[in-house]
Amino acid sequence: MFSERLITIFDLMASKESHEGERGILCSVAAEITAVSATGITLVTSMQLPLAFCASDEVAKGLIDLEITVGEGPCRDTLDRDDPVCEEDLALLRNSQWMLYAPSALARGVRAVFAFPLRIGAIQLGALCLYSTTPGPLSESQFTDALLMASVIGRGIVALQAGAAPAALSQELQREAAFDFSVHQAAGMLAVQASIDISSALVALRMHAFSVSQSLSVVSGRVIDRQLRFDPDINEWREGGL
Amino acid sequence: MARESLVVATLVELADNLVDNYDVIDILTLLSNRCVDTIDVTSAGVMLCLPGGELQFVASSSESMEVLELFQIQANEGPCVDCYTGGVAIVNHELVDPDVRWPHFSPRAIEQGFHSVHCLPMRLRGRTIGALNLFRADVGLLTTDDIMIAQGLADVATIAILQHQSVLGARLLNDQLSFALNSRIVIEQAKGMIAQFYGGGMEESFSRLRNHARNHNVKLTEVATNLVEGTLPLAGLDTVREPHR
Repeated sequence: MFSERLITIFDLMASKESHEGERGILCSVAAEITAVSATGITLVTSMQLPLAFCASDEVAKGLIDLEITVGEGPCRDTLDRDDPVCEEDLALLRNSQWMLYAPSALARGVRAVFAFPLRIGAIQLGALCLYSTTPGPLSESQFTDALLMASVIGRGIVALQAGAAPAALSQELQREAAFDFSVHQAAGMLAVQASIDISSALVALRMHAFSVSQSLSVVSGRVIDRQLRFDPDINEWREGGL
Repeated sequence: MARESLVVATLVELADNLVDNYDVIDILTLLSNRCVDTIDVTSAGVMLCLPGGELQFVASSSESMEVLELFQIQANEGPCVDCYTGGVAIVNHELVDPDVRWPHFSPRAIEQGFHSVHCLPMRLRGRTIGALNLFRADVGLLTTDDIMIAQGLADVATIAILQHQSVLGARLLNDQLSFALNSRIVIEQAKGMIAQFYGGGMEESFSRLRNHARNHNVKLTEVATNLVEGTLPLAGLDTVREPHR
C-alpha cells in the first residue's frame, strides 16, 4: 500500500518536473498528495531561525515568513517535539499557545495547521507544514501521506545536494528551492548601522517587521534598498535613504 | 536451548540491532558466534568488501591468531575470495595439501586443524557485500538445513549492514548540506555588513569579499565568518584595485 502511494508521489513529481521552470515542486506535490490548501517546507540552520525552502503558494509563503518573524508556530514545534504537530482549529487554541502566530494565521484565512519533521535517522533536516483553510483533523490517509511525503522530501533534499562542492549549495538544490537570503543581508546591514551583533540584528529586524505588520522579506528588501534604516543616534528606525 | 529457538532468538536479536545506533562489528560477531552455536561448524567469520574491492576481515567467533591468519591470507586467495567474486556459495568437502586452487590457504587451514571449509555470500538484491566463512574440524558437507540457517542469519546481517551504510551515507550528506546552508547564510550576512560599511549593492559587496579571500588565499566562508564574528574588522578588508563590474 505504501509502495503504491510512493509510486503516485514519484509520478506526480516526474510530471511536474517536465513542466520546465517550475520551482518548488516538492511543496506543490506535497499539497496535492495530502489534499490540503497549501504546504511549506523549512530547513534547519545554525542561526536558530529556519530558512524557507519552498512554499506551494503565497499564503504558505506568508505563513513561513510569519513563523520566522514571530519565532513560534508549527514548524518550530514539530522540530522541538520531534513529532508531528496537529492543530485542527487555530480559532480554538488556548491563549497561551502561539499568541502571535495564531491570530495572524487566522487573519490570512488559515484554520488548521499540521507539521511534520523532515528526518533522516536521528537528524532533523527541517519541517513540512500543511495548511488548511477549513478546520478539522487530517484523515488517517492524509496523515500517512504526509509522513510518506516528509520522508520523500527529506531524502530528496539530501540527494539534491549530493555531489556539491564543499560549503556550496548544489545547483540542483538551488533550482528546486526558493531560498530568500534577504533577511540575512539586511541583518548584516543593520548590524553595522546599529553596531550590534548579527543575532541581535536578526531579532531587531523581526521585531520591526512584526510591529509594522509587514513581512520579514518586505522589511528586509527595504533595508537592502536603503529605504529603511536604523538610526543609532535616536535609537529608532527611520524611513528614507542615507 | 533447542536449535530452532536459538535460531529464532538470533534472528530477533539481529533484528533488534537494526535500531539507530548499532555497531556493525557487534552484529557480525553475533552472527559468527551463533553460526558456531547452531550449526555444525568449529569456527566462523565474516569478510566484507572495502570500497576498493579488497576483502577485509571484520569479525570472527574466535579471536585466536591462527584463525585470524586464515582470514588474512584470504585477502588474496581462498574460499571467501571465490565466494565474493562469484556471488555464490562455496562448498568444500575436504581440504587438501598441496592444493592448486588455494595453494596458500589450504595448507595453513589444515595446519590449524580445519579439514573442510564453506563460504556463503552476503548479498542483497544482487549486491554482494562480503562473505560468511565457516570452518569445520571434520571433513564432509554441511546439511541443507545447516546451510539454510547460516544463509538466513547472513541475510539478516547483510540487511543490517546495508541499512547502517545508508544511514551513515545520509548523515554525511546531511552534514554537508547543513554546512553549505550555514556557509551561505554567513556569506549573505557579511555581504550586508560590507554593503552598509562601504556602500554599494550586494554584488559589489560579494566582489569585495571574494577579492579579499583570493588575496589572502583563504576560503570565502572563513572571511565571511571572521567579519560576522568581528575578528576581522570591516575596515580591514582589502581595497578592490581593479573594479569588478
